[in-house]
Amino acid sequence: MTSSSLAKPIPRVSLNWLLIAQALVIVPFALHVPVALIVLWLVCSFWRIQIFRMRVRMPGTWIKSGLLVGTAGGIYLARGSLIGLDAGAALLIAAFILKMLEMQNRRDALVLIFLGFFCIAVGYLFEDSLLWGLFTLLPITTLLAALIGLQQSGISSKPAATLRLSAKLLLQAVPLMILLFLFFPRLDPLWSLPQPSNKALTGLSDSMAPGDIAELSKSAELVFRASFDGPLPPRNQLYWRALTLEQFDGRRWSQSSRAQVPDAPLWRREGERVSYSVVLEPTGKPWLMTLDVGQTDLAGVRQMSDFRWQRRRPIEQSMLYNAESWPDAVRETVLSDGARLQALQLPAKGNPQVREWAADLHRRHPGTDDVVDALLSYFTSQPFRYTLKPPTLSANSIDDFLFGSRAGFCAHYAGAMTFALRAAGVPARVVAGYQGGELNPDGNYLTVRQFDAHAWVEYWQPNVGWRSVDPTAAVAPARVEQGLEQALAADEEFLGDSPMSALRYRHLAWVNSIRMGWDNLNYGWQRWVLGYQGQQQLQVLGRWFSGFQAPVFAGGAAVILGLLALWLFKPWRRESDSQLRLFNHFERLLARQGLKRQPGEGAQAFAQRAAEQLPAHAGAIRDFVGEFEAQRYAGADGSVGALRQRLKSLRRSLPWRLSAVRGKRP
Amino acid sequence: MIERFKPVWQRWVGRRIPPASRVELDHRRIFILPTRVGGTYALILFLLLLVSINYQNSLAYGLTFLMLSVGVLAILHTYRNISGLVLSGGHARSVFVGEPVQLRLRLESTGHGHQAIALGWDSEQLEQTDVEAERLVEVGLTLPALKRGWMRAPRLRVESVFPLGIFRAWSWLDLEQTVLIYPQPLAGTMPLLQGVQPHAEDDGHATTGPGVDDYQGLRLWQPGDSMRRMHWKAWSRGQGLMVKEFSDLSGHDLCLDFMALGGDIEERLSRLCYWVLELSQRQQPFALRLPGFISAVDSGDAHREACLRELALYGVRA
Repeated sequence: MTSSSLAKPIPRVSLNWLLIAQALVIVPFALHVPVALIVLWLVCSFWRIQIFRMRVRMPGTWIKSGLLVGTAGGIYLARGSLIGLDAGAALLIAAFILKMLEMQNRRDALVLIFLGFFCIAVGYLFEDSLLWGLFTLLPITTLLAALIGLQQSGISSKPAATLRLSAKLLLQAVPLMILLFLFFPRLDPLWSLPQPSNKALTGLSDSMAPGDIAELSKSAELVFRASFDGPLPPRNQLYWRALTLEQFDGRRWSQSSRAQVPDAPLWRREGERVSYSVVLEPTGKPWLMTLDVGQTDLAGVRQMSDFRWQRRRPIEQSMLYNAESWPDAVRETVLSDGARLQALQLPAKGNPQVREWAADLHRRHPGTDDVVDALLSYFTSQPFRYTLKPPTLSANSIDDFLFGSRAGFCAHYAGAMTFALRAAGVPARVVAGYQGGELNPDGNYLTVRQFDAHAWVEYWQPNVGWRSVDPTAAVAPARVEQGLEQALAADEEFLGDSPMSALRYRHLAWVNSIRMGWDNLNYGWQRWVLGYQGQQQLQVLGRWFSGFQAPVFAGGAAVILGLLALWLFKPWRRESDSQLRLFNHFERLLARQGLKRQPGEGAQAFAQRAAEQLPAHAGAIRDFVGEFEAQRYAGADGSVGALRQRLKSLRRSLPWRLSAVRGKRP
Repeated sequence: MIERFKPVWQRWVGRRIPPASRVELDHRRIFILPTRVGGTYALILFLLLLVSINYQNSLAYGLTFLMLSVGVLAILHTYRNISGLVLSGGHARSVFVGEPVQLRLRLESTGHGHQAIALGWDSEQLEQTDVEAERLVEVGLTLPALKRGWMRAPRLRVESVFPLGIFRAWSWLDLEQTVLIYPQPLAGTMPLLQGVQPHAEDDGHATTGPGVDDYQGLRLWQPGDSMRRMHWKAWSRGQGLMVKEFSDLSGHDLCLDFMALGGDIEERLSRLCYWVLELSQRQQPFALRLPGFISAVDSGDAHREACLRELALYGVRA
């Protein structure tokens, strides 16, 4: 387009596609930008349509500046800042909306189209699910259609034709895109940028009151998915550690200040190795889930003093990592004094009954393991009940729980047992994480959801180190063996607050298979598309094309482009053109005889002249031209072969060169 | 700088795309380069890539690569849109200096359709047209006629940015279109040949100007007679359509002479041109004499064209 054509007004088709594309880009943003922006968009679109219908005039400079300042101010008020990803995205969307209003010529339309593409990319930072990815194909197609609609062509005035062409272009671009996606080296971030803030994320936090995990168990939200390289370990060994809670204030268990110090503890690998990969959803928290004690090769992640793995920044986007675990590892056989004091910490007062009872246990059982066994047998022998709705406890909550209500959730059991162990002089702490998970047989992976949240106990003995014990398993073995749903009593409804959740209809085979299939698809999407970064890419490329990445990429690109070019140009389908080619050949033949067709001279007139100049070949010349005209202009059905035959006989009859006759040129 | 390389460029184009009256656009003749919009597109791609890298977002990578692939494909599509188009120049009518030359161009599709084809002499003023599949389209372009003689149309620019406007495929074609430009007619006294008319002395002064015509009488109107010579008075009297008949006063023929005029060559030719047109319109036979050329005394369109041609080419073909 020349600069003059850029200043021309926007064609109707392009404007229509732009309005539609804008709707498609903005509507999914509705959750992420201030509501007022959506109102602004509706007003501006309506205004724009009225301008196009000549009902109102373009906004003047004052109105435009007023809108700009007003919008920026509004975003500042709503987001508290104009910096940061949220405010940035809102500003971008606002620019996208306001540009539509002030758009006058094709150059403005181009700016709008490019802004639209950019908005889609920014939208990916907020949402990256499979459905969203598929949905964005719609605005991409319409934006491209709007771009085509800006051209001055007959096609550009037909809405369907522009959309078809744009869809065709996109489809043809897909193979090359996949190739680039596979091979383009993923660089580390060049500089750090504000990350999307995930508000209102549910999940484990760094402190736990007994009710918190019961609250989590109402949510079927996905936490992570894990695939194992080898066979799946038995379900009762699937303890996914997130963090430990070592500080008790009489009501809440929380993370100790010691745990913030990066100080990898000593541990020794022992027994079977389990290796697996995890796709973790955004948690808003820095810790990763590993199967008990393990290690990961992920960059920027450290092991902390309580064996948890922690990243520097919170996890705001889903991430994939590989990890290895040794369930029988020997952990920290020597405990520092500080750690030991922390693991024995108890509030100064409160719960006197338990303290007394524990002291008695300690007197009766000299070995640490015996104390633990005694505690567990207390849980099994007494009428303890596993429930999501325990009765309210008094200030001495653990006394109340152990000797009164005897009804509670994993957090109650873990907290009570840790308290009792500490009171008996055994260093102990609460471990928070997830237990179990749902096996998807199609993809052979585990899906762990918020309702799998769990708390258990870790206690320490000299020379043996830390060992895990789960009091909940003693009370409700079904929770560990099968899962939450099976562990709950019949009168307690599983996921009672979300009646629409497909998880509630697991007993219906077809619902379940659809759910599993969909989940499997999403997992594949996360693992192979979203997680296709750095490490994962190197692995895949190394496995498939080890050492030949560059030639495979170059060859692949060449083959794709070659095939596309073949498909576009269809060189085998030049039949209609061959009449003309034969005629050109005929012209060249006669030119050798000094006869040149004049500009504007028709085939018939030329043949007449040629026949006069070359009377010996007049028959052959008239034959050829007659057939040519009949086929080309009179629409006669004749094969190109017949025409070629005539040309051949003319060529044979002509002498190689006839110097005598020379055509006169003006 | 650019000006210095222009002749080099033109020579190179001349070698690469030799003149031909009928040209099919193919890979030898088509050039393709990104437009300024294409530059913006590349910038947007770069920004998208930065977003993808910094946020390590696979979907943003996907969008970047999708748009990059669309951009690469646009090369193929833009090229395909213009390739296979057959252009030929039609016959152009001669005009006088100062008038616009109307050049007809035929655009022919031999296979698929061609969208938004722009034609023109320079990249700023282009005519847009579409050529549907296996159809023929005629486009008229104008050129100012600046000089008499044979005018060769400059190289024609054919271009298209369809479908995305980010690449421009173009070609410079010489379709060998030539037009004869006649001198600009300039009114003035009739430049008659002195001394050749046999009875010049007898008639003395009478040999100048249109007053020489002698009224002979009336005859019945025939188709083809000039309206100017209608005898309207006789018609109003009800005597039917009569035409006034004149005969040359001297009884000899007019001869427009180059030497009878003063001034520079172009001005003389312009005056002669005016009188050739004027006398032809009056259907008066005349001869034209130029140095090295003398025409027969004649009238009619063919004679007029021949005289105009001589005037146009005087001194040009020598």
